[in-house]
Amino acid sequence: MKREKQEKRHKRKFSKLDIAIFIILTLGAIVIIVPFWNVLVVSFATQKEYADNPLMLFPQSPTLDAYKYLFKDGKIWQGYINTFKLLIMGLPLSVFLTTTMAYGLSRPNFPGRKVIMYLVVFTMIFNGGIVPMYLVMRQLGLTGSLWAVTFSTCFSVFNMILMINYFQSIPDSLIESARLDGAGEWKILLKIILPLSKPIMATITLFYGVSIWNEWYDAMIFIRDPQKLPLQNVLRSIIQETEIATSATGSIAAMGGPQFDDGIKMAAVFLTMVPIMCFYPFLQKYFTKGIMVGAVKM
Amino acid sequence: MRRLGKEIWKNRALYIMLLPGLVWFFIFAYMPMGGLTLAFKDFNASLGIWGSPWSGLDNFRDLFHDPAFLRSVWRTLAINIGKLIVSFPVPVALALLFNELRMRRYSKALQTVFTFPNFLSWVITSGIIINILSNSGLVNGLLQTMGFDIVNFLGSEKMFIPMLYLSEIWKTSGWSAIIYMASISGIDAEQYEAAQLDGASRFQMMMHITLPSIAPTIIVMFILASGNLMTSSFDQVFNLSNAATKNVAEVLDMYIYRITFQSSTDFSFSTAASLFRSVVNMILLLAADWGAKRMGGTGLFGGVQKGEGKREKRKARKAA
Repeated sequence: MKREKQEKRHKRKFSKLDIAIFIILTLGAIVIIVPFWNVLVVSFATQKEYADNPLMLFPQSPTLDAYKYLFKDGKIWQGYINTFKLLIMGLPLSVFLTTTMAYGLSRPNFPGRKVIMYLVVFTMIFNGGIVPMYLVMRQLGLTGSLWAVTFSTCFSVFNMILMINYFQSIPDSLIESARLDGAGEWKILLKIILPLSKPIMATITLFYGVSIWNEWYDAMIFIRDPQKLPLQNVLRSIIQETEIATSATGSIAAMGGPQFDDGIKMAAVFLTMVPIMCFYPFLQKYFTKGIMVGAVKM
Repeated sequence: MRRLGKEIWKNRALYIMLLPGLVWFFIFAYMPMGGLTLAFKDFNASLGIWGSPWSGLDNFRDLFHDPAFLRSVWRTLAINIGKLIVSFPVPVALALLFNELRMRRYSKALQTVFTFPNFLSWVITSGIIINILSNSGLVNGLLQTMGFDIVNFLGSEKMFIPMLYLSEIWKTSGWSAIIYMASISGIDAEQYEAAQLDGASRFQMMMHITLPSIAPTIIVMFILASGNLMTSSFDQVFNLSNAATKNVAEVLDMYIYRITFQSSTDFSFSTAASLFRSVVNMILLLAADWGAKRMGGTGLFGGVQKGEGKREKRKARKAA
């Protein structure tokens, strides 16, 4: 009997199906990792080495030239600064607007609640599109400023719905007893709801943070001045440039020799994604939780 | 009437709380929507949105006579239908595989890898993909050492649409699998135990228990995805396309972008295109929402509707 059990366990560990699944998923992971690894390799390689052997797994003579070039060029740091500006301007605003809206709409039926809810949700399925938005921004005198980007992207109805769901899962009795003690809505939100809502606040902040970090479309539409463009737009312009070396003649002499375009592009890609890369493993659970409590309760 | 006034006064703190958000919605969501009237006007920059003279349906007549517009509509539909066939099943398969993977730690690490690309912008993703698929890149290097010819993955019209599918699978399928994995984790373990007693193999259990159990989720996700048939992934197409592929890459959103910002800037004409897109999208999404709810899902705005339902039930209970 005991032997049979052992045999069974033994069998479970090494069944062909297990091996097949292990191999398929590992191959999948390799297909995802290799392109990232290649970005890193190319960014540290010399042009000659890359041309000779595009299959290399490690550059034989790693060089920091690409990063030095980007550092000297300065565009990417300006991009970093602008993206940080967007984060500083947008993140508190987004979290504030979403929290107040979500709390208000999570309260039981007060006059107008349903109408407001429909008006808000309606924007999820219908919007004016980019031309009227551009004209509105121009009327407000915001085009050309990072504020246009912040205002056009600072509210996500999806995030608000996640938050409403969470708020509504907090027992009403807590709120009622606070109300009996004479607490107003603001006090209830700050003293009762928010301390109980740390996970959802973290998730929402992260969702907004990532989307601000990844923002480029509105910046492309609203901002003309290259000095004001966020990181992603700077990266885009670097990737799209076919001949970096010839377009920045000044730097060639300074660096002594022709530039390795692909290396510079990949160094820029790496510098743009490195913050997300560093944080993601630690933040993954918040993202996953966020999508689980959200619209997919089935 | 006086009661209503009293109710409003009682809840004044809530209205004040909602005010900042409502102001945002008015200015940045509903004013642009009002700006859609431009589609029925002949835009004159000096007169502005509201002052420009009406032109009836002229813009729409021009729009439907523009072969580039019609082509872009069909192209968007074709690409998205292809996506439903090619990309949609991948996350389902991935979730099934993850469910069968025994090593928990390893599974967690793999999930981190698989879900990560979803959080990168298409600007970054396209940079990574262009690098690895370029003519002198890793994939072509590999093909060459194996004795094949170089494939121009991103510079040929024939390869462009398959590349859209592949890059989307690469970027998003890991993240999309999470929904199915959550659904799988909700399956009653007793079913598996009973099947095991009957001598079912793991593959049989996967096909006869796991898959049927998550079928409702799959169907709902499929319907919701169909609601996006007219939504082209602008970010993806815009960043992956180049001069060589610009003809096959002109999906509806790319067409709107081009007529708005690149060719002659006739704002009322491009607003008409934009309005057409928004209306078709809305109809498709509402249909999808209706379909998803009929299938027992929560629909697009699931959470909210559900919450409202709960409250109403509670109210009904109180009244009884």
